[in-house]
Amino acid sequence: MLATRALRLVGKRAISTSVCVRGGHGVAKVEDYTLPNLSPEQASLKEKEKGSWAALSDEEKIALYRISFKQSFAEMTQGSSEWKSVVGGMFFLIGFTGLVVLWQRKYVYGPVPHTFEAEYKEKELQRVLDMRMNPVEGFASKWDYENKQWKK
Amino acid sequence: MAHPSQLGFQDAASPVMEELLHFHDHALMIVFLISTLVLYIIVAMVTTKLTNKYILDSQEIEIIWTVLPAVILILIALPSLRILYLMDEINDPHLTIKAMGHQWYWSYEYTDYEDLGFDSYMIPTQDLTPGQFRLLEADHRMVIPVESPIRVLVSAEDVLHSWAVPALGVKMDAVPGRLNQTAFIASRPGVFYGQCSEICGANHSFMPIVVEAVPLEHFENWSSLMLEDA
Repeated sequence: MLATRALRLVGKRAISTSVCVRGGHGVAKVEDYTLPNLSPEQASLKEKEKGSWAALSDEEKIALYRISFKQSFAEMTQGSSEWKSVVGGMFFLIGFTGLVVLWQRKYVYGPVPHTFEAEYKEKELQRVLDMRMNPVEGFASKWDYENKQWKK
Repeated sequence: MAHPSQLGFQDAASPVMEELLHFHDHALMIVFLISTLVLYIIVAMVTTKLTNKYILDSQEIEIIWTVLPAVILILIALPSLRILYLMDEINDPHLTIKAMGHQWYWSYEYTDYEDLGFDSYMIPTQDLTPGQFRLLEADHRMVIPVESPIRVLVSAEDVLHSWAVPALGVKMDAVPGRLNQTAFIASRPGVFYGQCSEICGANHSFMPIVVEAVPLEHFENWSSLMLEDA
């Protein structure tokens, strides 16, 4: 009664705040708790299961298993070849992206600033070392000022 | 300044920045540990052959994974607050400089003793002498004496800017109509670069900050020369 009052207050939406077996769409599925509809052979097998299990043959045990479970452990854990197509597609798209980047560099972008020329970069490097930039653990700390070379 | 493709911080040029470096090491270590643990758990969950559909709850693990993150957060918060309060200590500066942000340059005023003021514009790329750093050099640097506490009052004349020098561990927003104060000590001489850190229009990326820390006599010579030129 409380539930119907609450539903009227909140609106005419369908609410499922608890596991409703009747609803059929909760976390607990009815198939997890009940047996499926059994054929006559399966029903008689289930009766036989109530006796001693040593009396069951291997095929009967497997048939009983198949009533309750869709797949065996081996079937469940077997892999597929899907990963090959995924990885292949991934590499293809990466390669295609590389082509797009190369095309852009050739046909879209303008020239880089003159500060990227090798001669300029040499002077820049010399200046960074002369100014002792990051002398503690960074750039200039890796240069041997006495022997004028990078530290080994 | 940073070298190309540098990922980490620049070397500290002030005591506060040193503290920040150590705190960053501490926090990053914690982050790496947590990430490694989570990645391990994910890989273990994805590759296990075990199944269990009927777990409903577990009080023990819920307690652990609530208390442990709280403890970790405290371990991060304590050093963090320590540095926060350290940055706010009374510092009795030797020199006060006003850094005013404009569109699109900085101007510095040294008015403790005389009336010294000048603008600091970025050197355009085509005007660089070979070896200068593109987009970082300015025509006039903010020169300060080394190993002296400096107070910088940051404000703006038009729109929001932000005065930042990473090597000194300093960043302060420049708000028009407001005076923001920050302070630092340059522990070693050198040139320290920074860039405007609040979007301010078309040339926001082209108004750098250059601080030069020099011995006191050199600073005095420089300020005399600047006063003559003015």
